[in-house]
Amino acid sequence: MKHNFTEAKKNYQKIPVPPELESMLKQSIAQAKADMEQENHTPGTHQKKASTNPRFRRYALRGTGTAAAAVFAIALLANSSASISHAMKDIPIIGVIAQVVTFREYQHKENNMEADLKIPEIQVKDKDGIILEDSSKELNDAIQSYTDEIIAAYEADVKAAGSEGLENISLDYDVVTDNPSLFSLRFEQCITMAGASQSQKIYHIDKNTGKMISLKDLFKENADYQTVISDNIKTQMKQQMTEDENKIYWLNSDTPEWDFTAIPSDVNFYVNQSGKLNIVFDEYQVAPGFMGIVTFEIPTEILKPIVKEGYLD
Amino acid sequence: MNIPTMQSFVEQELLANYASMYRFAYSYVKNEADAMDIVQESAYLAIKNASAIQDKRYVKSWLFRIVINTSISLLRKQRHEIFEEHASEQGAEDTYADFDTMEALDILNKRERTVIILRFFEEWKLQDIANALDENLNTVKSILYRSLKKLKTELMKGEVCHET
Repeated sequence: MKHNFTEAKKNYQKIPVPPELESMLKQSIAQAKADMEQENHTPGTHQKKASTNPRFRRYALRGTGTAAAAVFAIALLANSSASISHAMKDIPIIGVIAQVVTFREYQHKENNMEADLKIPEIQVKDKDGIILEDSSKELNDAIQSYTDEIIAAYEADVKAAGSEGLENISLDYDVVTDNPSLFSLRFEQCITMAGASQSQKIYHIDKNTGKMISLKDLFKENADYQTVISDNIKTQMKQQMTEDENKIYWLNSDTPEWDFTAIPSDVNFYVNQSGKLNIVFDEYQVAPGFMGIVTFEIPTEILKPIVKEGYLD
Repeated sequence: MNIPTMQSFVEQELLANYASMYRFAYSYVKNEADAMDIVQESAYLAIKNASAIQDKRYVKSWLFRIVINTSISLLRKQRHEIFEEHASEQGAEDTYADFDTMEALDILNKRERTVIILRFFEEWKLQDIANALDENLNTVKSILYRSLKKLKTELMKGEVCHET
């Protein structure tokens, strides 16, 4: 009984909370405040304002929820039957389309050593549904070398620890962005040994070209995006630390060599549903471990002068 | 306490508890999009009505009460939609979470499940649960005992299966 409850509780706590929820929550809060402000100043007109905006938000959300579900369905169908995945080709598409077509699993369990990795395979197609072999291969190779590395490290641990080892490693993925300009696939890795550590890796396909891109490709040539973004992140860090004493980032700390100076060029990022750039740092990268994976939303206004058209809103 | 201070306190509590609120909503609607809607809607309502609550100690229970009400009204609305229009996408369950043991909770009704989740998974005091449900303490206690009794039979079934 007790054991079962512990298990159930664990499952309950494992219900993944979408990372974009926090920024959406903040939007709702801001919206509520704005609506209240409006009501205070112009009584009588508030109802229209109050009801339209949240509803707009809801539809936007529902759409993406369905999109994510569709991708999942495609993956499952593709796995179960080749002919169904073939039939999927007839879905009308605009521009380049990228999909998870199948996935394989790496599973291993020996005493207390356990690994469960889900490794997707992606197809990138042009607007006529023709598979872009090079683009698909480029992304799948990148995914493979990323996952091979994880598996190799795990297998080395198994070998070294023998039956005494205690390690649990899991890797899962989701499509974090799928809008007209970007398809982004996020991997979430969780390693539990003495403690647990999480990290992420996000891959992006530019839907205009079908090519894999990194952060620099969102910006105009020679634009100093790293400084602009890093400065903004520092400001956000400072602000959060002033507002909430429980938050700690490595900035002006006792150990200057750990301090955050600038984002690396291969930093993880994604574009959220409202078209805002989000920079993601792994555990320990810019803050003590208890802060977990931390995300900063960068205001589009400050990027306007340097960002290329069509990626951010 | 004046309104702006309470509002900012509610805001703090929202930021501190949104993950719990999401999981809780998820346990009701079992899909990501709806659970996210509920959290956002609840946050919106909470901020707008922050002046309605006077005592800081009750804010968390109050937030969950809003989540419960929002979830129930969403489910009710969807039930109507199912009759009125195409409802194929509504309430589709996401399949990634491992609900094996949580499925046992499905034999409980909504109120019973709420009590179990808040008591054991969120580790709330019974009094706070009573506040969230707008019930008196004794009612919550009897709901709790009744649910545990039901669950015991359900979970026991599971254990027997695992052993054989």
